[in-house]
Amino acid sequence: MWKFSLRRIMIMIPQLIVLSIFIFVLAKMMPGDALSGQIDPNIDPERIEEIRVQMGWYDPWHEQYASWIGGVVTGDFGDSFRFKMPVTEIISQRIVNSFWLSLVTLILTYLIAIPLGITSGRYNDTLRDQLIQGYSYLGFATPLFIFALVMLWVFGFKLGWFPTSGSVTPGLEPGTFDYFMSKFYHLLLPALSMALIATYNTILYLRNEIVDTKQKDFVLTAKAKGASETRIYNQHILRNSLLPIAAFFGYEITLLIGGSIFIENIFGYPGMGQLLVESVTLRDYSVVTATTLLFGAASVLGALLSDIILSIVDPRIRIK
Amino acid sequence: MSKNSLTKWLFALMLALLLVVAACSDKTSEDSSDEPKKSEEKEDEKDGEDSEEGLYTLEDFNMDASNTGEPIGGTLNYGLVSDTVFEGTLNFNFYDGNPDAVVIGWFDEALLGMDENFMYTQDGAATFETEDYVTDEYPDGVTFTFKIRDNVNWHDGNPVTAEDWAFSYEVIGHPEYTGVRYGVDFAEIVGMDEYHAGEADTISGIEVVDEKTLKITYKRSNPSLLTGGIWPYAMPKHIFEDIPIAEMAESDAVRKNPIGMGPYKVDSIVPGESVVYKKFEDYWRGEPALDEVVLKVVSPQTVVQELETGGVDMVNAFPADQFVDNADMSNVEFLANIDLYYAYVGFKLGNWDAENKKVNMDPNAKMADVNLRKAMAHAVDTDAVGKNFYHGIRWKATTLIPPSHPEYHDAENPGFEYDPELAKQILDDAGYVDVDGDGLRENPEGEELVINYAAMSGSEVAEPMAKFFIQSWQNVGLNVQLLDGRLQEFNTFYDRVGQSGEDDPAVDIYSGAWGVGSDVNPYGLYGPDQMFNFPRYESEKNSELLAEGISAESFDLEHRKQVYKEWQQLMIDEVPVFPTLYALEIVPVNKRVTNFSVDRASDIYYDENRYKIGVTAEEAEKAK
Repeated sequence: MWKFSLRRIMIMIPQLIVLSIFIFVLAKMMPGDALSGQIDPNIDPERIEEIRVQMGWYDPWHEQYASWIGGVVTGDFGDSFRFKMPVTEIISQRIVNSFWLSLVTLILTYLIAIPLGITSGRYNDTLRDQLIQGYSYLGFATPLFIFALVMLWVFGFKLGWFPTSGSVTPGLEPGTFDYFMSKFYHLLLPALSMALIATYNTILYLRNEIVDTKQKDFVLTAKAKGASETRIYNQHILRNSLLPIAAFFGYEITLLIGGSIFIENIFGYPGMGQLLVESVTLRDYSVVTATTLLFGAASVLGALLSDIILSIVDPRIRIK
Repeated sequence: MSKNSLTKWLFALMLALLLVVAACSDKTSEDSSDEPKKSEEKEDEKDGEDSEEGLYTLEDFNMDASNTGEPIGGTLNYGLVSDTVFEGTLNFNFYDGNPDAVVIGWFDEALLGMDENFMYTQDGAATFETEDYVTDEYPDGVTFTFKIRDNVNWHDGNPVTAEDWAFSYEVIGHPEYTGVRYGVDFAEIVGMDEYHAGEADTISGIEVVDEKTLKITYKRSNPSLLTGGIWPYAMPKHIFEDIPIAEMAESDAVRKNPIGMGPYKVDSIVPGESVVYKKFEDYWRGEPALDEVVLKVVSPQTVVQELETGGVDMVNAFPADQFVDNADMSNVEFLANIDLYYAYVGFKLGNWDAENKKVNMDPNAKMADVNLRKAMAHAVDTDAVGKNFYHGIRWKATTLIPPSHPEYHDAENPGFEYDPELAKQILDDAGYVDVDGDGLRENPEGEELVINYAAMSGSEVAEPMAKFFIQSWQNVGLNVQLLDGRLQEFNTFYDRVGQSGEDDPAVDIYSGAWGVGSDVNPYGLYGPDQMFNFPRYESEKNSELLAEGISAESFDLEHRKQVYKEWQQLMIDEVPVFPTLYALEIVPVNKRVTNFSVDRASDIYYDENRYKIGVTAEEAEKAK
């Protein structure tokens, strides 16, 4: 077990190094730089030139990469040109927001998906099952950004049930109960929008597993012993069917990252996804590289997590 | 054997694919040449509708909010329209993004007032006097003596002193300063060069006379000094003096607890999304009318809904392309004034000489013939562009000084009339005729002439507008092609046009726009040693007029007007660029907002008289 995990982690290291080179070089190849937006007759072009030299943007890319990666190893992602502060500080401000958003999304996804999956598996091929499957296919087919816009328009503006932008009501004292509730209130709609259509794979996996397990011998044995239906489903079938869902958990993180980029921009929610998109358009290199690297690392870690969970669940994987 | 046949199959498949791809690209290129005609037809239809209704001009708008009721205190919700967060560099000396400037504007202000002609007045927090400064080194220098009013205080109760003002110069001029503000305006101060180079510890031209009096000496006296050439922002020295200059921009004094001298003080900040301001009772102009201001970032996609639901009372800028559909919003009044803006089409006449830091005009450039440029300027119906694409809230531009500067804008100069026949005539006379009978003109040497046009993506109308321009030029027989067959993204566009001095030779003409400063002086955009002179144009007469415009004689307003009038005409004669559109700045305000005006001459103009802005109801009006 430990050997497997260790080997899996060792593979991760070259993955991350290659990823970092790609990210850095591609970021530098983007046309323009953080100062292109400063084309303003009130700003002296010579001063802009001066800053470019100061920032080292004219050095060869491998030198820039070396000094950047040197910093990254010690946890220093450099300074954001746009925010004029260390990248780590900006990210630490934003990552909290993204973390809570992802957590709530994940919880909501499972809260919706697991009961639906169980129902659909238990009563397969009934109307109930077909309705639930219909819903999950609809979720599968709906593009997230359109769905999110519709949700924002209906629940944010038309009905006015939810705030439409930001992460907290202005003017609240951080740390108070009101502040906490306001944060939660602000992330509920974005999280719900994402959760409602991210449930399809969990529902379908769960359904298929349950349908499969239902026909296994041990279920028949349990039935023969006279266990009640509820007991059979809750104790025997569910426990066995949840395993692949647990294994899928790591990949869910990767999906969340992709989703957060759309969601945060639509809901004006200042998290990592919004930070990434803005930094790309404004060419704030140090932030672009840092966020993509973190996203990349999170995806790689998610895959790792899945593999480890799987290997715990299914010993056959470890042997290979 | 079987492997071999598989490879063969693959090869065949690839060939087939290649054919399909080739066929596709063929088709698209045909399509794109068809499309302009289609879109033009559509424009014509639209034109018919528009002439009846839906066209706006400046006269259709008020400049003052019609609500003139008594303010009742309360809270104003202010929307900062931006598709990005505000960066949070909340100090005039360090910010560089426009969203930050809007945030700062509520709690800090300039020490010098400005009138509708962008001249410094004696009504600001400081007054000034000038006297000549004559030495051998600087025979026509000038010394400004500023006196800060006694009742001007920082939000923490300390007085705003001459030291504070001098301090902002010391910070911006310092070699370790990280922001973008340093430039010619600062280098013009006596002793600034030495200080900026690190050779001197103080700036010899800046003298703190007493607590409230500051003297600044400039090397050359010039009229631009009175129209925005002085840095009018102070910095609380008692807060910043212990922070190393290189770290000031990231310090808490800039990001978390900024203070200023404006009518409202910062109460709390949620980084990037919102700011709450409270009234600053000791504000020197008088007690502000609101108890509280809440500023929040609103994305351009949702600004209409926010205004309709009363989520915000007003915004800093309203997206022009959404105005027509929302012009009759019942709870909001749209105010407008002429924006400091013009759009133009530029001709690349050379490139940038990085070594000598000046433009290098190329007499063999494709666009070097002034007749060709003139014909192209006459060929475009910019009036129709304004009407069809912007419903009149942008309109035909005539000269390179926009009417936002009424003193200098030459209203009598008609600019380029739309006259395709004249354009054809000019081209015929200059030798641009169709030799090979394909309907497109060749250059005077009889060689094929293809003009590459760079246009920027971004707005909804960017593409149809670019096609309209190209079609207009094709109508007079010029083969103009969109550079690379597509619009260029903002960064790419300015990279290729030459913002870093590396002009892309593939660009022959381009569509750009400038927001102009309060100072009318166009030197920064058309001076021969200016990087932002993108057409890379230079002429003796141009240099002479531009220098004349900032000479000591031009302190005489009439003289300066005359100089810039001549310059505007020169730009029409030589056509390094031709202006296409002017614009309105549109500001929506909720009907409960009072004492608000976008009229720069008004005594409730929002910038300087922000403390007067009030609301007349507790709750914002909602749309019906």
